[in-house]
Amino acid sequence: MSHLCSPEELVDLGKDPPANCSAGPVGDDMFHWQATIMGPDESPYAGGVFFLDIHFPADYPFKPPKVHFTTRIYHCNINSNGGICLDILKDQWSPALTISKVLLSICSLLTDPNPDDPLVPDIAQLLKSDRARHDSTAREWTSKYAM
Amino acid sequence: MSESEEEEYSYEYDDSDAEEYGDDDDGGGAEDMSLDAASQDGTSDDDAMDQQDQKMSSINPNEPPSGFTFEASDKIRTMQSSQLRPIMDDLIREVADVLGVPEPAATVLMREHKWSKERLIGSFFEDSERVQKKCGVLALCGCGTGNAAARKKGKITCKICLDDYDPDEMIAGPCGHEFCETCWYGFLYNSLEKGPACVLETCPEQGCNEVITEEIVQRAAPDLLPKFKEYQLRSFVDTYGLTRWCPGAGCDAIAVAPAGKELDDIPVTKCETCHTEFCVKCGEEPHAPIQCKSLGLWQEKCRNESETANWILANTKSCPKCNTRIEKNQVGFELCLLILQLFGGVRFTLRSLLLTQGCNHMTCSKCRYEFCWICMGDWAAHGANTGGYYKCNKFNPNDDGNQSDAAKAKRELDRYLHYYKRYHAHSEAADFASKSVKETEARMVLLQEQNNDTTWTDVEFLKTANEQLVECRRVLKYTYAFAFYLTDEQKRSRFEYHQEMLERFTENLSELSEKPLEQMCRTEVVNQTRVVDKFMKAILKYVDDGMEDVY
Repeated sequence: MSHLCSPEELVDLGKDPPANCSAGPVGDDMFHWQATIMGPDESPYAGGVFFLDIHFPADYPFKPPKVHFTTRIYHCNINSNGGICLDILKDQWSPALTISKVLLSICSLLTDPNPDDPLVPDIAQLLKSDRARHDSTAREWTSKYAM
Repeated sequence: MSESEEEEYSYEYDDSDAEEYGDDDDGGGAEDMSLDAASQDGTSDDDAMDQQDQKMSSINPNEPPSGFTFEASDKIRTMQSSQLRPIMDDLIREVADVLGVPEPAATVLMREHKWSKERLIGSFFEDSERVQKKCGVLALCGCGTGNAAARKKGKITCKICLDDYDPDEMIAGPCGHEFCETCWYGFLYNSLEKGPACVLETCPEQGCNEVITEEIVQRAAPDLLPKFKEYQLRSFVDTYGLTRWCPGAGCDAIAVAPAGKELDDIPVTKCETCHTEFCVKCGEEPHAPIQCKSLGLWQEKCRNESETANWILANTKSCPKCNTRIEKNQVGFELCLLILQLFGGVRFTLRSLLLTQGCNHMTCSKCRYEFCWICMGDWAAHGANTGGYYKCNKFNPNDDGNQSDAAKAKRELDRYLHYYKRYHAHSEAADFASKSVKETEARMVLLQEQNNDTTWTDVEFLKTANEQLVECRRVLKYTYAFAFYLTDEQKRSRFEYHQEMLERFTENLSELSEKPLEQMCRTEVVNQTRVVDKFMKAILKYVDDGMEDVY
């Protein structure tokens, strides 16, 4: 059974839009959305605008949506293909989650990277050993790709 | 069972005993069996508290529940899943009574404790809330706060589809999380799609670890209940040490071993439905003389080394004399014809293909050189009649004294390949022999037609010989895996001597029974079949007895 609830979610997003995030369908395809996240102020990504691609599986919301960054970002939990390592997008997915909650989680991942469960070990290593250098590289990438 | 094996098993037992609930997913059921054996005897009462003692005696765990019980039979038997369900239900009912929890919760608790009443009761009375929380049945047992969720007036928004519903259109789990009927159905439907793991599914609410039970399935998706229950039974069989699914293709029978009785090292049973023979402990085909554990190691090794081994074990070999490529025929007659049509005249003749049957005695089609497929040596040195020796099952490590790492690695690989090659060859030959059952029947018909006065029973010896061959090949196959792990030099050389004899007898039988019909001698085949059978059993007994005494 296919039960795509995105129209309701659109309303939900409209009523209560999470700060710094927005999302909506690309064209007429309700299963393919595009989202934007503004780099959180307290992070090295501040000032950047990051685009994400969202694909809803046919059995959404019982299966998690496929979310990935289309803007390059220097982050230990996001790889060069834009893949995101986030538990709620994998085994911790719950049908009670919505896209706005997912985007909020991604926002907080930008503020608080998780170097203990990294997707890009080199970045995690640098984050742990030399936070200043890590942050300056992240800022550099942000101004290069996301502004 | 060899000494080192014994040590390993007893160590394992201690290990899992010390654990609260075992994560010992090694598939071996030895420890579960002994634990269950204890609980069946009613010794579980010792660990429990007084109040529970009373409850235990009121339902009298020593009295077998109605219908078939494990104790009722002292043999391993196979049954259909429908017969096993009452046993599972009885166990659940009993535990639910003792612990004072609902039956669906008892199912989850038992599953998390590998269906060991003993372990569950022990840890439950130590800290029931912690156990309930860990297993995700806290609210179901009535201890959580979920049930107290206030009923709101007016419309409620389903958190999944974000639509508004009347309160009576919503279904709440024991944890109090409410969703609309359609969403519950969709959730459960998708969970069941995941297969047997669906019994571990938790509440759709994010972060809630309350496990989904048959109770909510019954309420939200009654038509999915049979499937859910089937998966519950499957998980029962998978985690309960005393039961195992028949590995036969498409067969859903279950082997049930009796509790409270020591099982053999390799408890072999024959499925009553599809007649597949298998070891109840590991689910593999009968693998005497090697133990389940060593077999697992061996198979793992074979998987890891398979590429090297396969490369070396290329399908064809060259004739040691004239270098013509020869392929051992493990394929049927029709395939031979097909190969002939495709490559005819290039490498093979039909005769050369058919000459090479399951037996290791090879004859080169070009130069008529006769040799052994295993060691490529002259066949003349192999036959029993020459009084010669059958050297192809002995491995001679190179004693050149070179101890460099590379040399050691090479020697280790050589050692492995020596055993693997023979293991593989016998495995193929066993497959070939079991596939040729049909051809044997055709030969039996022909043989009967040859002589007018023979009856079907007179030609049945061919079938018996074929079955004996299959069994011998299988045992021989595992003797090589067994010998690979035999560390005692003296024992190994003695074992390999016996193995050599069995191999010789088996080859002899293979040759006798594959003879052209006009040369077939019944007495010879019958005799050889009997000799081989006796010898094989003697070897297995010898291994069973610890390989100490000389027979």
